[in-house]
Formats: sequence, structure tokens, C-alpha cells
Amino acid sequence: MTPRAPQLSEFPDDGGAGVPAPRPDDVVTFPDGLPGFESCRRFVLIVSDDMAPFGRIQAIDAPRPAFLTIDPALALKRYRRMLSPADRLRLEATDDDALLWLAIVALSPDGTASVNLRAPLVINPRTMTGFQVMPHQSLYPVRHPLSL
Amino acid sequence: MLIFSRKRDEAIVIGDGIEIRVLRTGRDGVKLGVTAPAAIAVHRREIYDLIRAENAVAARSPGELRHLMARLRAAPRRAMPADVPPA
Repeated sequence: MTPRAPQLSEFPDDGGAGVPAPRPDDVVTFPDGLPGFESCRRFVLIVSDDMAPFGRIQAIDAPRPAFLTIDPALALKRYRRMLSPADRLRLEATDDDALLWLAIVALSPDGTASVNLRAPLVINPRTMTGFQVMPHQSLYPVRHPLSL
Repeated sequence: MLIFSRKRDEAIVIGDGIEIRVLRTGRDGVKLGVTAPAAIAVHRREIYDLIRAENAVAARSPGELRHLMARLRAAPRRAMPADVPPA
């Protein structure tokens, strides 16, 4: 079975007021939520050509946090994608699954940007599930500088 | 909070299938072995708190993020990997 690419259609722009209604197929489930946003289980990914290399991931569940993301390999050329056997199992990843890796970008008020390479989001497009991966040991910092 | 006295090689069990066993004790700390189902994530508290704090810093409302992205789109330069010198 060919893994279905994550649906990256534009999220309905409700101006932040209404309740968005993405199609069920578009929803990526994070069974544990994200640290700090444990109640947010359902997310949609949004990319568009004119925003490349950035994308965003948007929670459907309150408080509906949205995050700017980038491919970690674009933030650090020699970035190595490493997944423990336990994390691989949690993602139900087989060797055939092309996993999607997204690093969260943080923008500070002074205009500088950093990328969280310590804990990337990893999504299995076949099962449309994801986790924020927090390896016990990591070579990478929570705030890797990103030059804009 | 439940408090248990445990000696080396003694354990506690949490729910169905989670076990925390004291492997070694010493002056500098205690070595624990955690057995849990694959679906249960186990993290050091300080790592989890670090990531939680950073997620809180990075989170935006949908509207804020749209504005930020519009600003990035208007920026003259594309984001470049920080470790690649400009051409």
C-alpha cells in the first residue's frame, strides 16, 4: 500500500473566531498531544508554495495553538533523523513508511528565530498519527538559531 | 502523593503493565528501571518541562501566525539554514 501523503490543504480561514471543519482525512492525531498542550490531539498541516520552506501545524482542539514549522534538515544541513525503536513502535512505522519530520520554529519579539531540533514532530502519513519526539539523549538544542 | 520505602531490586506497579524498579542506590542518586507498554511515553521530568516551555514560547493563535507568515513572505530574503554561509 502506497502511503498517502499528509493532506496539506489550506485550513479554513475563520479569522480565529469560528469552529473550523477540516475533513476527517486531513486530521493528524497526536495521541499524547504536545507537551504543554496535552489536550490538543487533532491537528491539521498547512503548507503552500509561497510560504516554503515554512509550514504550519494547527490544533483543532482548544486552545487551538498554531506553530510555524520547518524541515529540520533545512534548519541544519547535517541534521540526523534519529528515532528510537520505542518511538518507531509508537508511530507504527514500518521501514516503508516515509515519515514526515517537522521542527517547530519560535519567533522572539526581537525578530530572531530559533528551531527546536531537540524535540521534532514526527508524523506517519500512513496512519496519520504523530508524536513530538523527545529522545533521552540528543545532539541538538531546543533553540537552534535560524537566520531569516 | 503516595510515598513508598523501597530497597534495591524492589519495585512498584502502576496500573496495568507499568513497573518502576530500584536498580541501584548510591550517595549521588538512585537508578530506576521503568517497564511500560510501548504506547506509554516515559521521559525525564526536566526534559519534558524544557519542551513544554519551548512549545509555549512557540505557540501562536491562528490569526497571529497568519500575520507572522505574511511578514516572512514579505521579507526580502528566504530563510537560509543557519550553518550555510551566504553565497
